[in-house]
Amino acid sequence: MAEVKLVDVEKRYGSFLAVPKQSLTIEEGEFLVLLGPSGCGKTTTMRMIAGLEEITAGDLMIGGERVNDKPPKDRDIAMVFQNYGLYPHMTVAENIGYPLKLRGFNRQAREARVAETAEKVELGKLLKRRPSELSGGQRQRVALARAIVRTPKLFLMDEPLSNLDAKLRVTMRAELKHLHHELGVTTVYVTHDQMEAMTLASRVAVMRKGRIVQLDTPKMIYSEPANLFVASFIGSPPMNLIDGVISQGTFTAPGVNLPVSAADRGNVVLGIRPEELDLVPADGEGLFSGLLYALELTGESTLVTLREGTTVVCARGGADFDAPIGTRCALVPKAGARLHLFDKDSGERV
Amino acid sequence: MRDRPLSYLLLVPAFLIVLATTLYPLAYSFVIAFREWDLTKQNRPGTFVGLDNFTYAFTEPGFLNSLWVTTIFVVTSVVLTLFIAMSLALLLRRTGRMHTFTRIILILPFAMSPALIGVSYRFMFNPEFGVIAKGLGAIFPALQGVPWLASPDLSMAILVLTDVWHWSPYMTFMCLGGLASVPRETEEAARIDGASGFRIFFGIVLPQMKGVLMVVAVLKTIFALKMFDQVVTLTGGGPGNSTETLAYFIFNVGFKWYDMGYASALAWILTGIMMLISIWYVRMLLSERKVATA
Repeated sequence: MAEVKLVDVEKRYGSFLAVPKQSLTIEEGEFLVLLGPSGCGKTTTMRMIAGLEEITAGDLMIGGERVNDKPPKDRDIAMVFQNYGLYPHMTVAENIGYPLKLRGFNRQAREARVAETAEKVELGKLLKRRPSELSGGQRQRVALARAIVRTPKLFLMDEPLSNLDAKLRVTMRAELKHLHHELGVTTVYVTHDQMEAMTLASRVAVMRKGRIVQLDTPKMIYSEPANLFVASFIGSPPMNLIDGVISQGTFTAPGVNLPVSAADRGNVVLGIRPEELDLVPADGEGLFSGLLYALELTGESTLVTLREGTTVVCARGGADFDAPIGTRCALVPKAGARLHLFDKDSGERV
Repeated sequence: MRDRPLSYLLLVPAFLIVLATTLYPLAYSFVIAFREWDLTKQNRPGTFVGLDNFTYAFTEPGFLNSLWVTTIFVVTSVVLTLFIAMSLALLLRRTGRMHTFTRIILILPFAMSPALIGVSYRFMFNPEFGVIAKGLGAIFPALQGVPWLASPDLSMAILVLTDVWHWSPYMTFMCLGGLASVPRETEEAARIDGASGFRIFFGIVLPQMKGVLMVVAVLKTIFALKMFDQVVTLTGGGPGNSTETLAYFIFNVGFKWYDMGYASALAWILTGIMMLISIWYVRMLLSERKVATA
């Protein structure tokens, strides 16, 4: 276990600035998720921590020691790759035992440790197989086992579940969470899947264009997004974002009239999560009124999309909700619903 | 399905050409390998002699010498080509302007005709005016006036050198292709697991390139077994018969001594050797695939 500190770390490829100067402290034992869309610099940041990419400027500290110039093998880390990175010519046992072999463990010690680790990830019966003889989920387990076979200071995981099918991803997510709880090793996890980030992380660093735009607990990231980008990126379905103006304590946009406690201003975006809206009869005191545009049954609920002019608002209704498309409906915020206001130009929270 | 007769019909011209230029000569050479046929005495194959042409080969010093010469040539040129091709591929693996430029100019030796390479090197190693001979003499005075192509060992070395020079670029490209198919993640995983560069190459990269390296080795072996052009234009099989490869010896038997029966038998012995190598290679490849797809 170790604390990881990035101090003014920057990465350039020639004149291209991939990761602008930024600082980040990952606490000992923490599960930090770097979350963002493709090309936002999350993998580059992780690869700098791993030592697979040179750091252009700044300091990287692992366990209080500056490791900028240390090769990956001397950083005492383990990494799980998106495409597993298994050695195809070795058996499962050889794959798992390879880091031990390189660190001079004798055969007996190696075999014992490999067997113990394989049991932990339920690979005990597959030790003699080669990676080509395994399913995606089993390969991922081998990659995990190879990472946890020794106890490194830090685990790095680069989208480890992205090649698995949806069902397996959910299972593996729970296993990762359990493993982290059991081992307590500081973990940095890269993903573009917000569900993975929300369910696994102690803290989430949301990244955009190489910068961390919000660093907080999953709960805070969801409930108090710092800006429009985070608000639109987190949540499925995403937060409703409605362009409008605030005048005399009321937010107005096509089809929307909502009392808000904010000073008058134009160019403002109101955000409200679909699950914080209630469907009410069209002639009631609805604060958003529009025509039913789409109904999507998700199983436990129905996503109801209303449209009025350029304004589109989505709400989560009951599973039994049904109405003909084109019906006029209205929505009201539930009691205690959080309304988020953002400046349209800067994207920052008002 | 209706197009099936037409597809066979379209294949007919190609089949006829292959039949006339390859299959018929091949079958005919097999027939005359069991006959006596001295072209200076008769214009048609003579009496049936059974396996005499084949058994004679293994008692005849000329053939045994060419077999030995070919073995030395094949082993040294294959090993050196493989080593140089793999080394160059590792150097050229990175991307960048210099690497791309080097890759482009690297193909030039392969674009040259083998016969022309032989002639060029013969001139370049001429002790009187050859640029390499003179250059080496200027750098190392002890090498001044060395009769490069008049020494059995040196002429073999030069023959190997020209062949390696000719084939290394092509094999480098094959190795580059092989290297590109090795997932970067396996190397990076090994770096993080604690492997040194040496260990990553020999323990992780090379085993994953086994298939490509086998193709390279087998192709190069077959090409080396057929070595003919450079022998004709560079050494003429000499000095003595020190560089007389099997292909060149067969040519001499057939077209200098006009012993067509014996030459055909020798050609079939060479074919047999190449077939054995090919069969071994295909079996290895199939067993590799079985492991990969199991």
